Amino acid sequence: MKANYLLWILLTGFYAIVTTGYALWWFLTYGGWEPIGTAVLVMLTFMSAFLAFYLWKTDRTQGLVPEDRLDANIEDGESELGFFSPWSWWPLYLGLASALVFASLAVGWWLTYFVVPLAIIGVVGYVFEHSRGLHAH
Amino acid sequence: MATLTETRPSSGGSFPQRKKQTKGQILVDWLTTTDHKKIGYLYLITSFAYFLIGGVMALVIRAQLAAPGLDIVQTKEQYNQLFTMHGTIMLLMFATPLFAGFANVLMPVQIGAPDVAFPRLNAIAYWFYFFGSFVAVSGFFTPQGAASFGWFAYAPLSNTTFSPGIGGDLWVFGLALGGFGTILGGVNFITTILTMRAPGMTMFRMPIFTWNTLVTSILVIMAFPPLAAALFALGADRRLDAHIFDPANGGAMLWQHLFWFFGHPEVYIIALPFFGIVSEIFPVFSRKPIFGYKTLVYATIAIAALSMTVWAHHMYVTGSVLLPFFAFTTMLIAVPTGVKIFNWIGTMWRGSITFENPMLWSLGFLTTFIFGGLTGVILASPALDFHLSDSYFVVAHFHYVVFGTVVFAMFAGFYFWWPKMTGKMLNERLGYIQFWLTFFGFHITFLIQHWLGVIGMPRRYATYLPEDGFTWMNTVSSLGSILLALSMIPFLWNVYITYRSAPKVTLDDPWGYGRSLEWATATPFPRHNFTSIPRIRSESPAFDLHHPDYAAAEAKAAAKK
Repeated sequence: MKANYLLWILLTGFYAIVTTGYALWWFLTYGGWEPIGTAVLVMLTFMSAFLAFYLWKTDRTQGLVPEDRLDANIEDGESELGFFSPWSWWPLYLGLASALVFASLAVGWWLTYFVVPLAIIGVVGYVFEHSRGLHAH
Repeated sequence: MATLTETRPSSGGSFPQRKKQTKGQILVDWLTTTDHKKIGYLYLITSFAYFLIGGVMALVIRAQLAAPGLDIVQTKEQYNQLFTMHGTIMLLMFATPLFAGFANVLMPVQIGAPDVAFPRLNAIAYWFYFFGSFVAVSGFFTPQGAASFGWFAYAPLSNTTFSPGIGGDLWVFGLALGGFGTILGGVNFITTILTMRAPGMTMFRMPIFTWNTLVTSILVIMAFPPLAAALFALGADRRLDAHIFDPANGGAMLWQHLFWFFGHPEVYIIALPFFGIVSEIFPVFSRKPIFGYKTLVYATIAIAALSMTVWAHHMYVTGSVLLPFFAFTTMLIAVPTGVKIFNWIGTMWRGSITFENPMLWSLGFLTTFIFGGLTGVILASPALDFHLSDSYFVVAHFHYVVFGTVVFAMFAGFYFWWPKMTGKMLNERLGYIQFWLTFFGFHITFLIQHWLGVIGMPRRYATYLPEDGFTWMNTVSSLGSILLALSMIPFLWNVYITYRSAPKVTLDDPWGYGRSLEWATATPFPRHNFTSIPRIRSESPAFDLHHPDYAAAEAKAAAKK
């Protein structure tokens, strides 16, 4: 929908102005340029532009969808919305394994060697839990 | 399709009741859940537990400051650990996940979706938060204790020379993990809102709470990655001697910039969803639609956009930031915030207001938050901030802002949606007792701290001298904090007796004037939220459904067809 990408175009424009304003203002006050604030604002502008482009592109490809039509009824939507995993052990396991990895960075490297494989198992299990092979859905 | 409005089921419909589960089955069910509502409840329960833990720390801090001398804590290091972890817990383990909790439970229902876009990612986000927070606070179980460099961990204080000990390392990496959980949650919310709305639920028909969830999630994906980067760099400094935040290379300023580039939007990350909650409550108890729906949405976007550009107002006293720029943007934020307050008052204006608990707490939010906003404008002015920075004036200011929004609006939301979440209404009378205890307890504790700051009491000092003249004000503040602590008892008691003996709520909309879609489904929610969704023709589909005579014009026109 237009509102989706307009929101990000708005943000892109706003941050572009702020970035320029900030850099110029600093330049005119102190000379040179302030690296940290300018850098983060530039990245903010780029991220907004990136998302604006993606949503605009999606909107172009997708066309008008029922959730963006003012006169759509519930039955106008797709009857099948997608696959929702009913329950899963992997998030809990992956959360715990990741926490051990992160804690091991603080506790000691010896622990890292033991827990990184556990986390890798978690990632693989999580990714392939509902996989039925390429293009098999 | 007028049949939809006529055949609305009044409760869970004809779905068979689930068989009674054993305790083990219930436990496994919760541990492996991918249901957005259960994950939401997990978030709410965990964050409320952290609220109580952080609150107990605050009580110890207040007890210590009630009179001069080190009577309560044995060393100043213990005091440092207390205020560091109080701040960390309240911001990152209570307020932020509380947003994720409310958003998880309500947002998918409000847009008419069966679940969030990525249910397992949602569960991962929760477990990252849960375990990450545990890692961060587990420093208390180590010999040297938890992190003690303040919740904003300024360099070089946060390096291993000045803050040795594993507590600081655990804090850094625990928060990094929790931060990833928040980012994943934010991505999930954005995707859900953009792709999973029900037909007819256009962006400008979404409830304000959903809008605020979207905008907050955008802030999350803008603000938390810099925090993650900064934390990993700090971790590298502490564990690998990386010298990234070495003052010799300008690292002190680098840390402050990066931290506040996260830290200021964080304030809005924990404020905007709670603005959303009260925006849902005011119309219901004023019997009027929200006043100025679109201006409210634009104001939210404006606050979010601006909030990314004001970070260095926390750094005025460094003397190395562009004062006029940040003073200007900071004061500019007061404008959209004022628009919001105007809208809330406009919603109540000439409405038929009733003062059930959700409304009362929302009004408590409004009064408290306005004070915090006003002192914020004072602090935005560099000339005043130089005198007030790092004094108790700032402590009072941000407690007014954060407690005003998060805690008051949290209880407003609890009282409002409790019947929807559990199928039982919380007791109103106990709610009133709790409200007035909280209200007076809070204001007695924190109002006086403004003047403590004005006469010069600095924040984060473990104690003061009798000659400083801070004593009586601190005593008043500490007495208020006891009242505030007592206010939690009626709430916990209320939850208990409601669970034990309150009658079941069978109506879809127990408040009678609910507007958004969660009031058009069974109480409590069915597994995938809806057995049928009413037609959506305005931002209040449930109200249009239940009160066809007063429905929005578009809804009436559609019903005639």
